[in-house]
Amino acid sequence: MLDFMSSLTSGERNKHGLKIIIVGCGNVGSTLVEQLAPEGHDITIIDTDATVVQSITNMYDIMGVVGNGANYSTQTEAGIESADLIIAVTNSDELNLLCCTIAKQSTNCAAVARVRTPDYNAETSYLRKSLGLTMILNPEYEAAREAARVLYLPTALEINSFAHGQAEMIKFKIPEYNILDGKPIYSLSRELTNNHILICAIERDGEVYIPSGNFMLHTGDIISFVATKKNAIAFLGEIGFDTKQVKNTMIVGGGRASYYLAKQLITMGIDVKIIEQNKSRCEDLSNLLPEAIIINGDGTDSELLKEEGLEFAESFVPLTGKDTENVMLTLYAKQVSDAKVVTKINRSTFKNVIAKLDLGSVVYPEYITSEAIIKYVRAKKDSYNSNIESLYHLFDSRVEAIEFLVEKKSELINVPLMELSLKDNLLIAFINRNGKILIPRGQDTIQIGDTVMIVTTHTGFYDLEDILEK
Amino acid sequence: MNTSMVRYIIGNILKIEAVFLLLPCVVAIFYKESQGWNYLLVAILSGLLGFLLSLKKPKNNIFYLKEGCITTALSWIILSLVGCIPLYITNEIPNLIDAFFEIVSGFTTTGATILSDVEALSHCSLFWRCFTHWIGGMGVLVFLLAIVPMNGGSHMNLMRAESPGPTVGKLVPKLKITARILYVIYFVLTVVEFILLLIAGTPVFDALCLSIGTAGTGGFAVKNTSVADYSSAVIWIVSIFMFLFGVNFNMYYLILYGKLKKALLMEEVRAYVLIVTASIIGITISILSLYPSLGEALMHAAFQVTSIISTTGFASADYEVWPGFAKSILVILTFIGACAGSTGGGIKISRILIAIKVFIKEITSYIHPKSIKKIQMEGKPLEDDVIRATSVYFLTFILIFVCSFLLVALENKDFTTTFTAIAATLNNVGPGLEMVGPTQNFGHFNWFSKLVMSFDMIAGRLELFPLLLLFTPAIWREHFSTRIAEKKKNKH
Repeated sequence: MLDFMSSLTSGERNKHGLKIIIVGCGNVGSTLVEQLAPEGHDITIIDTDATVVQSITNMYDIMGVVGNGANYSTQTEAGIESADLIIAVTNSDELNLLCCTIAKQSTNCAAVARVRTPDYNAETSYLRKSLGLTMILNPEYEAAREAARVLYLPTALEINSFAHGQAEMIKFKIPEYNILDGKPIYSLSRELTNNHILICAIERDGEVYIPSGNFMLHTGDIISFVATKKNAIAFLGEIGFDTKQVKNTMIVGGGRASYYLAKQLITMGIDVKIIEQNKSRCEDLSNLLPEAIIINGDGTDSELLKEEGLEFAESFVPLTGKDTENVMLTLYAKQVSDAKVVTKINRSTFKNVIAKLDLGSVVYPEYITSEAIIKYVRAKKDSYNSNIESLYHLFDSRVEAIEFLVEKKSELINVPLMELSLKDNLLIAFINRNGKILIPRGQDTIQIGDTVMIVTTHTGFYDLEDILEK
Repeated sequence: MNTSMVRYIIGNILKIEAVFLLLPCVVAIFYKESQGWNYLLVAILSGLLGFLLSLKKPKNNIFYLKEGCITTALSWIILSLVGCIPLYITNEIPNLIDAFFEIVSGFTTTGATILSDVEALSHCSLFWRCFTHWIGGMGVLVFLLAIVPMNGGSHMNLMRAESPGPTVGKLVPKLKITARILYVIYFVLTVVEFILLLIAGTPVFDALCLSIGTAGTGGFAVKNTSVADYSSAVIWIVSIFMFLFGVNFNMYYLILYGKLKKALLMEEVRAYVLIVTASIIGITISILSLYPSLGEALMHAAFQVTSIISTTGFASADYEVWPGFAKSILVILTFIGACAGSTGGGIKISRILIAIKVFIKEITSYIHPKSIKKIQMEGKPLEDDVIRATSVYFLTFILIFVCSFLLVALENKDFTTTFTAIAATLNNVGPGLEMVGPTQNFGHFNWFSKLVMSFDMIAGRLELFPLLLLFTPAIWREHFSTRIAEKKKNKH
């Protein structure tokens, strides 16, 4: 009976997914549930707030436990003994670390903690090693990095890096009277000298296309392409974009994300001005960032923004804690200046509305976090096959870009790409062979040891072989 | 409201019922009874209708609590409407309302019958009557969740509407697995009882019907004398299993997964054991003079107590002749009912426990007006919502009870009969006292009272609110106004 029961549950488990415990149901916790639950994992959430637990268990097929996640008995109730992964994303860094540490004592599951405080951020790798954690997440830090990448190349709406930074996927919008307007993709390789790029996804009128060579480009299309950093800049330069990084930035709000962003921008040689309302926080910031100009004032006051020269700023990053303020500030900045604006949005609830507002670059910290975890989860579920190296959701999760490491022999190896029958809406964006990025042509083949990036509107790929039409 | 999802689920329920209706056909083949054809016909029609309804998969599978309640209430009514047709067309119960009452009583695991001569029924009808207990015991929607692949997490709202108890939780993260575990425990316990009854020398057909009747805590028997004619071994086996099916199934899950200590610490189950033991002792003492030996008095006391508290409703003796004290205990047990998360009905032990704790808290608040005390249950603080819902449940229960009582009292039957008839149907027990006592039946009520009591049975089984929601005009007003809005939108 017992054997039968356990086979009943575990059989299901092996087929469908991992047993995951998520501690904390804030923004990141609920985004994780939203993204992991449809992939068929056994998810249990722990939160101290019963109403939160109740409402999220009503919406998704998961179990909820009310209690303190760092409490051993609460963890036992959530089934820590048989869990594969525990993710601690409560508001408190210390609690997150404690959750993982306690979980690690009782079982050998993987543990992921969110740690946001700058004090700990410098010691991430030490903490990770000494506490035996699988991953330490810092959404603010990652969001700041993404914002910094965009400010480095302000033409782009979004930049993701792959293959340890060797290849980049850059998203931009075709402006009016651009030379790309009205051209099919295949003609680009003839007309441009810098043609080592691959256009992998196009958004037009709210629809996302994975284009073939015959696809006609139009003004207003939002294009994602992959290339090495050097080729990307050369390509953008050739089609008439400014490819210089911004010289100065104005940041509203002095939270953790602002600190991380300012720190990176300063090392890139960009002048930083931070507007923060809280006096003592301003003093802290000026201690931490002596090179930055710290303004004590209300960043939502238009007079103050004008006084501090928003009209002439090259870039503007609203990083207040409130999404509504961030959006309003962005719209205001777009109206009064030509600054490149990067907006941080914490809650993804109104993502579709925001997408229509044409805010330019938008950074969702919680998505950055959940992508990292989903990548890990998918790779872990299928650990003996090809590994997922990195995974990004593009165009509001409608497109996935996945980097696979090819470790074993399969029917894909050594076959010219044009002879493979690939699924629709899918393309191979690049092959990374020994650190060299190849933009694949029909004659190229995949070799063992390569990492291959594919871009697709399908979801739930675990293995490189999933790309074949079956 | 997500009507297409409601339609889809009801379609699937009808398909499941079609499959279940084939079982009496098998029995009919075995006993060479011509009534089997009627069951086959209804099975085919039900399957066809279900197939048509579930042909188109809904695009939007979001499901809120109100849809869960409406679907559950509608499913149970439709289930009963289809389920009573074979009894009617075989002419074994020539009145349609009688047939409906009988089968509602079956699905809701009440066990109140309108038949004076049960033994006159064909084997396949007897089996179908008992089998409805088994389907209704754990719940047909839970069964649906266990077998039909349904995506989306919001189906928890279906389980919440159908499963008894103040709070409904899952055993494991996946709803489907939870539903399967529950059904596996249910099935295995049923089979164990069946085998034990065979060993005790019961005929196969009787053993089968008794075990499925006990499992759902139903109470339809295949003999006019309920279980009084069987040997004392059978009576003991049935009473032990009635007790077991009244236990919260979470306990079995905990035991299966080796958490024996936690299982034994379950507050609700402890209270259940306590109430059962105390009642058995009380009744045994009270009826000692009526029976030749202590053993026999104990056996009948134990059987009646477990039968009433688990809301099964079998009878091993005519307790109508018992002293007033013993009868009073049985009437009180009728209201208490079994544990939450079991197959039994009634108000549920956990609600009684919460009520007692709230009562104690109120009393202390008179002594220390500024004291703050959180009520705990199973070692965890109870949310205010649960306490409020429990209080409202009691009030609603009383309200429905009083209304039904008044409506049935129009017949001018004596007080005990009317009162216990409502108590027995609303709590899904089955027999009451006087004219609805263990040797009597419900056949003498008029059609109106039968409909009122059918309503009570479904309301009791679904714990009042899903069925009340179905009859709330606001829900339908909202539904139609959104339908009109949708049509307008489509036109543009």
